[in-house]
Amino acid sequence: MTFPFLLHQTVCGALAAAGFGVLFNIGFRSLPWCAVSGALALAVRTACLDGLHWNLEAASFAAALTVGAAVQELRARTDLSQNALDVVGCIPMVPGSFAAKAILAMFALTSASTTDAAETLITAVQYALRVTFTIGAIGTGLAIPTLLLRVRVTR
Amino acid sequence: MDAIESLIPEDSGSAPALEPLAMVALDAGRMLMEAGASANGVDEIVAKFARGLGADRVDLRIGYASLAVTIGIGPNGITRMREVGHLGVNQRLDQELWHLAARVSRGELTVEETRAELTRLAQKTPRHSAWVMAVAVGLACAAFGRLLKVDWLGTGPVFLAAGLGQLVRRELLTRHVNVFICATLVSFLSSLLGGLGAHWAQSTTITTAMIASILLLVPGIPSVNAQNDILEGHPTLGSARAVTVAVILIFAAAGLWLGQVLLSHLGIET
Repeated sequence: MTFPFLLHQTVCGALAAAGFGVLFNIGFRSLPWCAVSGALALAVRTACLDGLHWNLEAASFAAALTVGAAVQELRARTDLSQNALDVVGCIPMVPGSFAAKAILAMFALTSASTTDAAETLITAVQYALRVTFTIGAIGTGLAIPTLLLRVRVTR
Repeated sequence: MDAIESLIPEDSGSAPALEPLAMVALDAGRMLMEAGASANGVDEIVAKFARGLGADRVDLRIGYASLAVTIGIGPNGITRMREVGHLGVNQRLDQELWHLAARVSRGELTVEETRAELTRLAQKTPRHSAWVMAVAVGLACAAFGRLLKVDWLGTGPVFLAAGLGQLVRRELLTRHVNVFICATLVSFLSSLLGGLGAHWAQSTTITTAMIASILLLVPGIPSVNAQNDILEGHPTLGSARAVTVAVILIFAAAGLWLGQVLLSHLGIET
C-alpha cells in the first residue's frame, strides 16, 4: 500500500460521504464532518485491506467500528444525529456494485444463452454472500459502539 | 375500588386532554421516521414528547407503515394509531425534531404550541436545491467510481450520468411515481448515459462506469437501519426494511440490465 493510493481512497471516501450528505439534506455547516467520517472509514478500510491483507468483510467491520466510536466522541460537537453521521461515513463502503453484479448474474442464469450455468450461479452466490456479509459487518461495526455507550431512554 | 372501576376514566379537569397529546406525540414520531430515523430514535422521541406534555405512561408500537401509541395520565388512558408515509431521509428535519423534543421535554411548550411547531417544521425545513443535489450526487458517484477502479476517462461520464439521474429521480418522486418504478427508470437512464459516455470517452471500464452511475439508488440508510432495528429489538420493522431494500436493489439492477441490453444492441460491449 502506497501513500498516494491511501490518500486517493481517503479523498474519494470523503467526497462520496459529503455528496451523500447533501442527498440526505444535511446542512452545509455539518458537511465537513460527513467528509471526515467518510475519509476515516475509507482510510481504515484501505489500511486493513492493503496493509494488513484482511478480507473485505473484516476490513469493513474494523472501519465501521472505528467510525462508530469516533462519532460517539464527535456527537456533542456537531449537533448532528449520530445515525446520520456514522451511516453517511460508511455509505462509501456499502457494496452496491457487488449487489448489482449478483442480481445481474441471477438474471443471466435465466437467459437461454447461458453457456456455463454452474459458474454463473457460483458467481451470483459469491457476490450475494459478499454483499450480505459486508452489510452485516458494517451494521454490526456501527451498532457496537452505539449499544455499548448509549444511555437508554427511561420509560 | 375493584379492578374494573380502576379502568373507568376520571376526568379531574386539570390533566391535559389525552387525544391531542397522543396525536402530537405520534406526529413527532411519524415525522422522525419519515426523515430516516431508526426505531429506537422514534421510540425515544415519542416518549420525550408525550412525557414533556404531561403523560405518565407511554407505550409505542412501531410498524413499517404505522405507529400506535398508548398514553396514560393517572387512571386515564388512550390508544391511537397514525399512518406513516414514504420513508425518506431528511437529516435537517431530524435535527430540528430533536431540538423541539428537548424544548418539549423541559416543559416549555403546550400541546397546541407543539403542534404548531411541528406544522412549521414540516413546511419550513429547508432542502438543498435540485441542482446542488445533482452536482453533489454526481461527485459522490464519481468518487464511488474511482473506489471501484473506474479509470479517469470514465469518471466524467459517471459524474454527468449520476447527476442527471438524480435530477430525474427528484422530478419523478415529486410526481409521486412509485419508488420501485422510479429506481428502474433512473437506473436505466443513468447506466445508459454512463455507459455511452464512457464508451465515447474511450474508457476501458465501461461496465464499472455503468454500475457507478446507479449507486445513487443504493438505499444505504435503510439497509443500516434494518440491521439496527433487528439488533435493538424491532425484528418486524427491521425485516420489512430489509425486504424493501432488496426489492429496490432488484428494480435498480433491472434498469441496469436494460441499459446493458440496449448498449449491446448498439454494438457497445459491456
